Amino acid sequence: MHRSVERSHFQIQRDVIYALLLRELSSTFGKNRGGYFWVLVEPIAHLLVPVFVFTFIRQRLIPGVEYPVFLVYGFLPFLLFKTICLQMINGVNQTKGLLAYRQVLLMDVFVAKAMAYAVIQAVVFAIVLTGLAMFGFDVLPPRPLELAAVLVLTVMFAFGLGLVLAAVASLVPDARSVVSIMFMPLYFISGILFPVTRFPDEWMQRLAFNPVLHLVEMSRAMGVEGYEPFKYLSPAYPVMLAFTLTAIGLMLYRLRFLARVTP
Amino acid sequence: MIRLENVTKSYMTLSGRNVVFRDMSVDFPEGVNVGLIGRNGAGKSTLMRLLSSVDMPDSGKIVVGGRLSWPVGLKGGLEQKLTGRDNVKFVCRILGVRGSGMREIIDFVQEFAELGEYFDRPVSGYSSGMRARLAFGTSMAFDFDYYLIDEVMAVGDARFKKKSRALFNERLKTSKLILVSHNMKLIRNMCDSVVLLEHGRAIYYEDASEGIAAYRKTGDKP
Repeated sequence: MHRSVERSHFQIQRDVIYALLLRELSSTFGKNRGGYFWVLVEPIAHLLVPVFVFTFIRQRLIPGVEYPVFLVYGFLPFLLFKTICLQMINGVNQTKGLLAYRQVLLMDVFVAKAMAYAVIQAVVFAIVLTGLAMFGFDVLPPRPLELAAVLVLTVMFAFGLGLVLAAVASLVPDARSVVSIMFMPLYFISGILFPVTRFPDEWMQRLAFNPVLHLVEMSRAMGVEGYEPFKYLSPAYPVMLAFTLTAIGLMLYRLRFLARVTP
Repeated sequence: MIRLENVTKSYMTLSGRNVVFRDMSVDFPEGVNVGLIGRNGAGKSTLMRLLSSVDMPDSGKIVVGGRLSWPVGLKGGLEQKLTGRDNVKFVCRILGVRGSGMREIIDFVQEFAELGEYFDRPVSGYSSGMRARLAFGTSMAFDFDYYLIDEVMAVGDARFKKKSRALFNERLKTSKLILVSHNMKLIRNMCDSVVLLEHGRAIYYEDASEGIAAYRKTGDKP
């Protein structure tokens, strides 16, 4: 029998988030090799088809930029954003049993989820880039620190939006499926497959309302040598939205909108 | 010592606000085994949720002095994909137990739960009895000032039940329990006093049998 030690609130939260993080990672990767396989198969399958189509059919889509590199630097931040968002909305119900432990708070689950999937997607990113490099593509980002900052911003944005959506989903459970479906059109208006600069100016102005497009274009501007991002790119826009959404999400959490995630 | 001060808790439902407790204050004194009784819907589960901080009160304060367990034998906390061992490690981590302390606890649960080689297999392959044994063993591995128990605690076959009961009685020499049950015989046997929940209020009866008598009367006026 173990005598437990006195811990401060901060120490408890740190221990809990660490425990949740390990639990999330080991249940994703698990004892069976299947976990590793599926985490990688999804992005690779997503990437292979457009790479094939655009590389072999249309030779030069963007002058001076290799298409697979362009695609990877756009798709992976999008996948990072999508995975964290969906995990925050859907994952809470899977872990609600844990809330019965006094030390575990719902916010710890959110934070651990976001951290776990940020780590997983970073590893996926590294593996895919290494794979591309093996095929002779120049994948090294010219501005690695700025790229890291863009990815951190993507995680923050996904976290804030995930909190707000989780609150909405706890009021209207059907919102979960609507959100999952919405990621498909979002994929197409975020300029993942081809550069939005090819659209008429009038369209581009409307597409600029999509914050994910800004994140995608920023990632490319930092990661792809010689890439010219679309002209309405504004880093302040996704930054402000990320902070606003996180603030609203935390407020909803504080007002216990999320409490009913557990019946 | 566990104290609720002016606790109000309500839930929004489609037909409006459902107030479970309004300005409820109650003391669970130190060194006393307390039974928590009340009709269905009186708020026993809500109070359990508040005590284990699954949910927060709308207003008011809940003061817990001392270490309070999660509901003993809780199976909802088990992660299906992880092994029994990893599940025990998880609980150790959230309680801040590391190194040799963690090893001690794992050895204890492994021996007590009698899972054999299943201890290193994913929980998804466990029978319900095995799950219950793992969950109960984990609850008993830590030293708490209060054990929170919801309804029945008997798990496994007759032999294992006897073993669990013996271990639990051992723990009760140094710890106290908060027991939620409809079984008045069990409450009478295990508790010194009771808290009766009725109409959003909590009444503390120092003498358990007094409280049980009051509980029986609550049935008369619906």
